[in-house]
Amino acid sequence: MPATLTAKRHPIADVGDAIEFCFQQGWTDGLPVIPPTEERVRAMLEAARLDPKQEVRYVTHRAVSITAEKVAINAVMAGCKPEYLPVVLAAVEGIADPAWSYHGPGTSTGGAAVLMIVNGPIARELDINAGDNLFGPGWRANLTIGRAVRLVMRNVCGSMPGLLDRGTLGHPGKLSYVIAENEGESPWTPLHVERGFRPEQSTVTVVASNGPHQFYNQLSSTAEGILATLADDMRISGNVTGQSYYCVVLAGEHMRTIAKDGWTKKEIRAFLHENTTSTHAHLKRTGRMAGAIQPGDETTLRPLFASPEHILVIAAGGRAGAFSCYIPGWGSARNSQAVTKEVKR
Amino acid sequence: MIELLDPTTEAAAQTVAYAARPDTLAGKRVALIENTKFNSDKLLLKMGEILKQEYAVAEVKLYHKRNASVPAHEEIIADIKKSCDLVVAGIGD
Repeated sequence: MPATLTAKRHPIADVGDAIEFCFQQGWTDGLPVIPPTEERVRAMLEAARLDPKQEVRYVTHRAVSITAEKVAINAVMAGCKPEYLPVVLAAVEGIADPAWSYHGPGTSTGGAAVLMIVNGPIARELDINAGDNLFGPGWRANLTIGRAVRLVMRNVCGSMPGLLDRGTLGHPGKLSYVIAENEGESPWTPLHVERGFRPEQSTVTVVASNGPHQFYNQLSSTAEGILATLADDMRISGNVTGQSYYCVVLAGEHMRTIAKDGWTKKEIRAFLHENTTSTHAHLKRTGRMAGAIQPGDETTLRPLFASPEHILVIAAGGRAGAFSCYIPGWGSARNSQAVTKEVKR
Repeated sequence: MIELLDPTTEAAAQTVAYAARPDTLAGKRVALIENTKFNSDKLLLKMGEILKQEYAVAEVKLYHKRNASVPAHEEIIADIKKSCDLVVAGIGD
């Protein structure tokens, strides 16, 4: 006897009406959703072998209990295949973690999206894109997994745009923001292994993030040359003095050039930490630091990061093209930390 | 006919007990909770001054959250319960 689904039921005449009904109820992100019928929701729960009543996480800051049934309903609406659900659940566990601190990025004017970086074998099994058109469009898993998480934030946690979610500008990543690391071609230690997991484990790392910034370097044939461009682009970016997390995504050509010179992720982080400082005088002159310029401000340096460990370096993106990108985190690392959760199967 | 399952939180009904509102501010001790954002302390202290000058509040005490992304922590709530009658909290942004 399968467990009872307890969500309120809404009888609807047909599928077309159902899609419109979901819009009218305020359940969607502005795009049509798949009508969440019992059959679809059950298939979702069965794929993850979950009892509908099971609590996935309790979000203390919102005083909300997120149950497996509600996650499954929202995953159906987002267009997920049932086998995607474990990834959605891991991401939901991540944003409910006190270290991610939902109260800030779930509500802020600062426009935080949930960047989700998938590592381990599940990324290849589910065809989560790590290559061309990394940030979209084109891959169902990337677009629907992130969408499901966002629908949970909206429908279960109450982060309604314009009400609780007061992003001044928002950005397209708030619809879905899922990427995988290109572990097959990367010369480096995968992100999840750096963060304490085994290579054969699958994980999702959630980072409260602004949009991706693409940078160009089509001239350099050395690691230092490419990273000098990156550091120069990053120096004045994001919250500047907030010292947030950052994600650096090194794509095909840049990845190979940097790897050829033998640089590790740790060395990349150290270089970026050292080469993205600004003087207090510059930050004050440009309205990024409060107060009048004091003696010594011309030579006092403010690092972009509180720690080099706050720079998440991953290999991903298309093979062709001398472009990579960096993603400023939302706010500051004090207010929200990157969190990595295992995908349980 | 099809049936849709509701994706939203269906909170079990609960009641919240509000503290009794004071009849007057005169002689009361007021806690100001600032969220650590730039100038939020200045704004609240200014309000504190007005409360003292125009409403005869006895004293104001400024508390700091750990950061803007978290609720006020237990220690300051415990202290406020002991030493204050009213709280002013808000977002400086």
